[in-house]
Amino acid sequence: MSDAFYGTFDRHNEGKGLKGHTTHYCAGCGHGLAHKYLAEAIDELGIQDQTVTVNPVGCAAFLHFYLDTGHSSTAHGRAAATAVGHKVANPDAMVVCYQGDGDLAAIGLAETIATAQLGLPITVLFINNAIYGMTGGQMAPTTLMGQITTTSPDGRDRLTGGPIRMAELIAQLDGPVYVERVALFSPAERKKAKRAIKKALLMQKERRGYAFVEVLAECPTHFKTTPEKAMEWVKEQMVPIYPLGVKKDANFEPWFEMPKPTFDPATFLKAVGASSEKPAGFCKGFPTHIHATDISLKLAGSGGDGAQTVAMLIAKAAINEGFDGTHIPAYGPESRGGTSYADVHVALEEVHNPASPNPDIFVAFNAPSLAKFGHTVRPGGTIIYDSAVAKDVKPVDPTVRVVGVPFTDIAAGLGKMVVKNIVALGALQAATEIFPQETLLATLRDTLKEKAALIPLNEKAFAMGAEAAREAMKK
Amino acid sequence: MSQANTRPKPFLLPDYCKGCGRCVHVCVQGCISFTQEINPLTGMVPVTLDLAKCTGCGLCIEACPEPYGLKAMEAGESFELQDPATLFGARRSTAPEPVDIPGRVIPMPSSEPLVIKGTYAAALGALMAGCRHVFGYPITPSTEGAELMAKLLPKMDGFYLQAVSEVATVYHMYGCGGAGLPSLTFTSSPGLSLMLEGISYMIAAELPGVFIDIMRGGPGLGNIGPDQGDVKLACRGLGHGNTHAITLMPSTPQEMLDLTYLAFELSFKYRNPVMVMADGYLGQMTGKVKLPDHMVEPGLPAWGVYGDLNHRGNLNSSVFLDEATMETRNLKLFDKYEQMKSEARAECFQAEDAEILLVACNTPSRASKGAAQKLREQGARVGLFRPITIWPFPIEQLLPLLPRLKQIVVVEASKNQIEDELRLALSHAGITDPPPITHVQRYGGILPKENEVVAHVQNLLGRA
Repeated sequence: MSDAFYGTFDRHNEGKGLKGHTTHYCAGCGHGLAHKYLAEAIDELGIQDQTVTVNPVGCAAFLHFYLDTGHSSTAHGRAAATAVGHKVANPDAMVVCYQGDGDLAAIGLAETIATAQLGLPITVLFINNAIYGMTGGQMAPTTLMGQITTTSPDGRDRLTGGPIRMAELIAQLDGPVYVERVALFSPAERKKAKRAIKKALLMQKERRGYAFVEVLAECPTHFKTTPEKAMEWVKEQMVPIYPLGVKKDANFEPWFEMPKPTFDPATFLKAVGASSEKPAGFCKGFPTHIHATDISLKLAGSGGDGAQTVAMLIAKAAINEGFDGTHIPAYGPESRGGTSYADVHVALEEVHNPASPNPDIFVAFNAPSLAKFGHTVRPGGTIIYDSAVAKDVKPVDPTVRVVGVPFTDIAAGLGKMVVKNIVALGALQAATEIFPQETLLATLRDTLKEKAALIPLNEKAFAMGAEAAREAMKK
Repeated sequence: MSQANTRPKPFLLPDYCKGCGRCVHVCVQGCISFTQEINPLTGMVPVTLDLAKCTGCGLCIEACPEPYGLKAMEAGESFELQDPATLFGARRSTAPEPVDIPGRVIPMPSSEPLVIKGTYAAALGALMAGCRHVFGYPITPSTEGAELMAKLLPKMDGFYLQAVSEVATVYHMYGCGGAGLPSLTFTSSPGLSLMLEGISYMIAAELPGVFIDIMRGGPGLGNIGPDQGDVKLACRGLGHGNTHAITLMPSTPQEMLDLTYLAFELSFKYRNPVMVMADGYLGQMTGKVKLPDHMVEPGLPAWGVYGDLNHRGNLNSSVFLDEATMETRNLKLFDKYEQMKSEARAECFQAEDAEILLVACNTPSRASKGAAQKLREQGARVGLFRPITIWPFPIEQLLPLLPRLKQIVVVEASKNQIEDELRLALSHAGITDPPPITHVQRYGGILPKENEVVAHVQNLLGRA
């Protein structure tokens, strides 16, 4: 008797009476043999301490009664997904996914296929008995044509599908290293079954990959026959539909390795780009000429105009200066070309409401944006718009300053349309003096530090935008 | 032939035989036969052995499906010893009593604040809390968090896995959390709907895990606008059964980090999933985020099914067929839910002397803050009560404010979901005559706006 079995099945009726030493399976059930071969393989490979079995919903839900290993009992169909979680948490664990046909081939099909293709070294034992045993003999995805079950009372027919061959399906995938279908109805087949289960575990132990063993098993209770006839039925009826044998045996070199996670502060700070260096400040104080404590801005254009980048630069600049800053983007559903709005706040202490329903400053990259939000600017506020593309400015509150700057023309003149937004940023700085030029330029340079070659062009765009705004305001 | 006779012969305790007869069919000598006699102890009909002709071929032993069924009788063993403890050895599990391996708190050098969006902040909070395993299925507007994790985790020798679905995601977390390690996912409303089954299983099996839900407009596919329509799922609908989980409601990118960090602590403290729920605006919102001054290297709890000797005897399970056992299990969970109530948190803003109290979470709480300020400027005594935990509802923090209140206004981007939590909490606290409760609500991916709150309160004041 394998040492991988408990000395007494304490979880089975608290180990009392006969249940302390017998399984809950019906006479002639295939599960007992599959358990036994698994236990023996665990013994022979010396992996009892590492083994975690993932127990499904189905007759084998109580595998944890018997095997003296770690157990994770999971939901119907989710054994494969659960097994992946265990394997990546501890790559040294030997994870055995023990599943029936409903679990693996019906409700859990997506997880089964995805996990097989992922190919992490996990061992899957698939017990195919062509029936739903635990729930009382309903049709399984593996039920044979013509087979009578409680949900195919006249025999499975074309309208209820046909038996699914999981071993063949799994073997087609790139992920698995080893796939075999075995049976339990004769000494020769049992020998092969035991060997296959051991090999599937070995593939995991040697870090070669995912292995899948389909076991054709008897369910005499729901075949409504004797154990003897059940074996005959598997041999004569199931095997022609589910041919036995090795379906895939690839020569994968040991490959699976996962590093131990690191918790080194320096590695973390570098990865997230955090710096202990205080950014230089250029502001003499909060720009109270715009608002005493909280300035709200809106930038609007089409996707690709760069409104979000400029919004982010302003929020960043505010925080670099020791103020609070927020930025909320809003996009249309398209990844590119749709509407793109940004609400930005710069606050002396804390931004209370980060939305900008009535902005102090509004930057419009196109005519529709100008028409949509121009009138929301609060009295005394400033509108800066692309005068190259928006020609008609609807009347706004007379106290609102309206500054037209040809963002597009200036950017085109520089030969790079993408700097249109930096032209706008320069114009915004000159028109509002929200921050000194150096504050925004320092933030811009910092943002571009990994594309340093672009810095001169951006600085030029900024300067030309600022100059054009000053010119426009003179008029 | 003489050699064959030295091979061990089979022995069988009839009580452990179900009479399946797999052994009968393999014995070429015909040593094993079916009987008609029912075993009075088991109600089964065991086979009988007559070993006169036995060659010790062992095929019957290999065919027996019962662990304590047919056994090879070693030389010197006696047929008389039929006590299983003697026959099979009085073998106890050699697995040791599992012990906790404590985690480690690592001081961090101070750094300048980052300027990052809410989902990024949550990701960094998770990394600093020691999470190195993230699973997820991409869904707008939560994807940036997952994308950042996919980028950062390899640099920290962690692991990001894009699952086949949200259903699979939650079971990856079940496995990883079940092993005793912190794990996280980012999702959004339709994704959360799919995860509910697994969350019920995690709660039942007492497994930790942190769920960041960036709520979007619904029901159905809805849209990707900001919303709060998942509050009822988090508070009242975490899958089937009597489930609850602490549900944190951040309102700034900084809180996205801080509360995600806290979520891991709470998740392991209570061995229960923790929800962090933000509206889509907050997920996308960029703001100032200061990193904590320490990072956690998680330990390994005694209860984990890790796959080593220390944890060999462990089992994660939610199946308890015996009703009384399942009831006890429920009672244990309820005890835990009671303890979780001590984690209730709230922020009060200008609430001490308020006569009108706005109640709001996430981004609507910030619009409400703005509204409260504007209304104060107009001379109205308006304050804000912001539940940081929506479950458990911070009723203890609210009760002292009640006597002064003339009106409560719940501001939310859902149909009564936050208001119902408030009303339930008041009711459970025995408050039978709370101040009148009205609300400002928007739906379908739109948040209530500051001016809508201001107008609502002005209207109330006009009526008063």
